[in-house]
Amino acid sequence: MQMGKKKISTASTKMVFLILLGCLNVYPVIWMISGSFKSIEDLFGKGLSLLPSSWNFQNYVEAWVGANFGRYFFNTLIVATSVTVLMVLITAMAGYVLGLYRIPGKKIILGLLALTMFLPGGLTIIPVFRLVHSLGLLDSLAGIILASLSGGLVMYTLLFMSYFGTLNKELAEAACIDGAGFWRTFYNIMLPSVKPMGVTVGLFTFLGNWNSFFLPLVLTVSRPELRTLAVGVYSFFGEYDTQWNLICAASTISLIPVILLFLLLQRHFVEGMAGAVKG
Amino acid sequence: MNGDCCCFERTIFEMQTRKDLLVMERHPFSLTAKQKETINAYIFLVPMLLILGMLIIYPILATYKYTLYNWTGLDEPDQYVGLKNFIIVAKDPYFWNAVKNSLIYTAVLVPIQLTLALVLAVLLNNTYGRMTAGIRSLFFVPVVTTPAIIGAVFWMLLNPVNGPLSQVFGLFGIGNGNLDLLGNPSTALWAIIGVGIWQTLGLNIIYFLAGLQSIPKGLYEAATVDGANGFQKFTQITLPLLRPVTIIVLLLAILGSLQVFDTVQVMTGGGPFFATDVVQTYIFRFAFGGEHVKPAVGYASAAALFMGFLTMGLTICQFFVAKRLRK
Repeated sequence: MQMGKKKISTASTKMVFLILLGCLNVYPVIWMISGSFKSIEDLFGKGLSLLPSSWNFQNYVEAWVGANFGRYFFNTLIVATSVTVLMVLITAMAGYVLGLYRIPGKKIILGLLALTMFLPGGLTIIPVFRLVHSLGLLDSLAGIILASLSGGLVMYTLLFMSYFGTLNKELAEAACIDGAGFWRTFYNIMLPSVKPMGVTVGLFTFLGNWNSFFLPLVLTVSRPELRTLAVGVYSFFGEYDTQWNLICAASTISLIPVILLFLLLQRHFVEGMAGAVKG
Repeated sequence: MNGDCCCFERTIFEMQTRKDLLVMERHPFSLTAKQKETINAYIFLVPMLLILGMLIIYPILATYKYTLYNWTGLDEPDQYVGLKNFIIVAKDPYFWNAVKNSLIYTAVLVPIQLTLALVLAVLLNNTYGRMTAGIRSLFFVPVVTTPAIIGAVFWMLLNPVNGPLSQVFGLFGIGNGNLDLLGNPSTALWAIIGVGIWQTLGLNIIYFLAGLQSIPKGLYEAATVDGANGFQKFTQITLPLLRPVTIIVLLLAILGSLQVFDTVQVMTGGGPFFATDVVQTYIFRFAFGGEHVKPAVGYASAAALFMGFLTMGLTICQFFVAKRLRK
């Protein structure tokens, strides 16, 4: 009996300790969110407090319309969504063929993929920038989308390859005999059977591109209207570093979708991350 | 057309395909099913190969070429200088200052962060009923937040004029409420290291939690029966069994720290007086121009490749150390 009680009390002490520490850990984020509702005097005067003296929703209107963050939000959404869809499709297609089919030249392709992981990369952003420019895509989000497809491509192809490799090829063959074409077999039968990997790759591609900074920064230098949220906050903050409440509002706008996604798919997120060290 | 067909349609379709096959066998130049499959397989690889070639392999090779030119990035590189860029990099005290800062950042951040992450992971590995997921989320949230935005938020938090943290320090009599951690060359790097520890702590907690969950619970129960206390269980069971995970976490943390850019660029841009200039901000300044610097893409490419080789060397060393430790 006594042992049991002692156990419970240490467990609840630990829990209280963890909750306090966790709250301290998210304080910067909560401060940012509360700052987005504060007036500028409020932010400068009572910097530490988390409760605004009056709730100022006007900040969001100003950030969304006046400071153009509405536009940046949709830019980010378009880029992150397009890259995610294309990335899952492209790497799954390649992984499907590499994992399940014996084709001439497969070893060369695998060699190329491995090579890119060992070659020390230099300042690859410059050739990428020039390539996007020569394709005439610097004036559109398509340039950022195309350039962003390089991040993770090799790793995700290899992940899909090993995942497809564990599947039974007879499933695909049976579908083929039933008259489904190559593409149909892939899309209707094989792709659904690698859904867990698809969700993981999609989630990480979306998060990575939502939070991406360097690539959109470089590709939008002369095109302010193409900025993503991260680049928008950086630029706004460089020009108006006193309008903290608007920076907070813009930052909160950027945080909402990822937090929602994180809460909805927390299990996938944690398992996907954990996969990186378990393998 | 034939995805979700009923039996009747299916039989008709099968008949058709068989007919097709018969027809194909008659023509000597038409393709067999196997050949068709191979062609389809290649078509499936095309998008991946195009991106691999255009956006990964070509840029790597192109940047090797740029290192040999004196080039501002406009027009085409035409002034060939051989290995001169590398010599200038190796002789530039500012480059070595940036390397030094990157190494300090890594050497201070990694041990503190991983120790914290391990302790927290052990505590978070217990279940706290319905609170478990909620408590863990408190530590995971910074991981999904945009690093550049984290930089902006911490710049405000650390601001000397009415910034919340300078007010907290003021309460303890430090800095009279206008402590300028980021503006002072002797404290700026430490402030940035602090932000770095906070930013990716949750990621490492996730890694360690995954490692902890793979340790069989029976071991702890057996140890409890044998009369081991919590500390003994931690040092005798947890630490040794976590070793494989720890080695990978360590490698990832070191590589990540050596490549830090977003938060530093936003918070200080490498200043004040290059006190927080890490390798990536140094390269960025030369590639795109910045304070007192004109764009020198050839030079920046050489600096980046130089760092690439340093990192590769370091990784290989780590790999061999890790291999020996694993035995």
